Amino acid sequence: MSGDIVEDTRGIDRTASIVLALGLLFILGPLVFTLITASQSYDSFVRSGISPVPGTHLIENIRRLFTTTAIPAQVVNSFIVALMVAAFKCALAFVTAFGLVFFRVHYAGIVFAVLMGTVLLPLDLRVVTTYQVVSNVAMPVNGLLNATGINAMIAAFFGAPVDLQLNLLDSYPGIVLPALATGTGVFMMRQFFRTLPGDLVKAAQMDGAGWFRFMIDIALPLARTNLTALFILMFLGGWTMYLWPLLASSTPAMQTAVVGLARLSPQGDGQVPDYPLIMAGAVVVSILPLLMIAFLQRFIVRGLTLTEK
Amino acid sequence: MPPSFAGRWTPFWLSLPMLLIVALFFYIPVYLSFWWSFTLERPFGGGSEFVGFQNYARVLSDPIFWDAAWRTLVFMVFGSTLAIIVPLILALAADRMVPLSHTARNVLIWPKGIAGASIGVVFAFIFNPFVGIMAPLNGLFPGLWNPGSDGTDAFIMLLIAHVWNGIPFNFVILLAGLQAVPRSLTQAAAIDGASPWRRIRDVQLPMIAPQLFLTFVLEFTESVVSAFALIDTMTQGGPGGATRLLVYKIYQDGFKGYDLSGAATQSAILMVFVLCLAAFQFLYLEKKVRYER
Repeated sequence: MSGDIVEDTRGIDRTASIVLALGLLFILGPLVFTLITASQSYDSFVRSGISPVPGTHLIENIRRLFTTTAIPAQVVNSFIVALMVAAFKCALAFVTAFGLVFFRVHYAGIVFAVLMGTVLLPLDLRVVTTYQVVSNVAMPVNGLLNATGINAMIAAFFGAPVDLQLNLLDSYPGIVLPALATGTGVFMMRQFFRTLPGDLVKAAQMDGAGWFRFMIDIALPLARTNLTALFILMFLGGWTMYLWPLLASSTPAMQTAVVGLARLSPQGDGQVPDYPLIMAGAVVVSILPLLMIAFLQRFIVRGLTLTEK
Repeated sequence: MPPSFAGRWTPFWLSLPMLLIVALFFYIPVYLSFWWSFTLERPFGGGSEFVGFQNYARVLSDPIFWDAAWRTLVFMVFGSTLAIIVPLILALAADRMVPLSHTARNVLIWPKGIAGASIGVVFAFIFNPFVGIMAPLNGLFPGLWNPGSDGTDAFIMLLIAHVWNGIPFNFVILLAGLQAVPRSLTQAAAIDGASPWRRIRDVQLPMIAPQLFLTFVLEFTESVVSAFALIDTMTQGGPGGATRLLVYKIYQDGFKGYDLSGAATQSAILMVFVLCLAAFQFLYLEKKVRYER
């Protein structure tokens, strides 16, 4: 409240309150309509369209969702994918940043630059060729053997060149691995490690602790809050990604919940779409990340502001 | 010199898993996009041949490509401007510490947990001309709102969903910036008789220039890329290509039309565009940002 002695702040504060109320309305409005529609029966929805009055069919619609669609299994997929994305990103970021900060080697800057290059081009921009790589992750090995002429020699000796095949499409690793190829986590952890006093390292060395002991017993506990923030953000990121899981999974059984929800959408056959069912799907798909956001607020704000610095 | 551990190759081994993942799933796909833009790739592993600049000639002479590129640019300019101005206004209001500020700071972050595709499904329903919130108005004025047949309506719908989904990050960053502005500064300005509007313009906005710069840098790329989920769930690029941005066209060409070389060429062009944008922002815009606190 800047300068309440100097000026009458009531008018300004009233304007601020109105602005915030409008903002809340903009954010909550779609969520409220989703919940209300999810609670209506199809018949009453067809009669009256979107309505401000909740119905009584929420449980019934969710039951229909569980019996007639693949959403429940896809929510499990989302959970596994998001968990893997978050856990691996945290582990990789922690270990990589640790190596780059607590050792003095001449190539650390190059490694860091190579990793930071990834933030310039998001996964959604490179899906066409990422798809090709994931459909055979052994492709670079084949390419290397071909380019070096080793494959020609192998072909001359054994009659056929080496052609390794490892298709990761339609599998959890296939969905998760490309999502890990970004340097933001390393960047966040590196920033954090650099704020730690150098005396910590000196003290550990005087106690005879090697880098591994230092990493596990000192760096890891200190980084716990930051790792938690990173984990939650990456979990949400893994849960909400769309284009890549859509391409990487061809069967409904492997699709994530967000992709499954989009596939519930009407394809335009003239009939009024079953919006109560679709909105019940939106509720089920979004409830876990929403609860995380509402209750783990301080970690999320911390994580978002950390990515800034 | 800060103390550090000995071990010439230990950091290398520690970074190796990350380096392998980044090589395999970032650098090789990026390299392949550019390589394929010079070859004719046949789908389903049907071999390839080097064709020089033929792909570029084909893509660049296609009016649909230029149409999609233009719409991408329009969406980028309007989408990112709105997706920063709206959170900025909300952050300025929340910074006043009125009773609603506390609730707003929690609720305005909720969209972070909702996928673009999910909110696309929801907004497509809410803005449905026959059963959505515009249905009563459409009853009074037939044909007033129909994103299914009117390109402008569809584009507006897309922008609204984009702003909705972009609020959390920009709001948090800008509010953090505003709260770091020393109170004494705004108070001094108030004592000098500066109106709230003058204080925003002459004190608060210059002080959060670094945060504004950051949100613009990230928002430009974000608006080019994240529109995919919204387009795919709301308009599928329609009506009549009105919402067919490049990122969606690449998907259609590559995965529906099996034109791998064309899709890779357009990916390469979009990548160069995004890289140029980032370079331009860092070289020219950053100089204009006052960083001193």
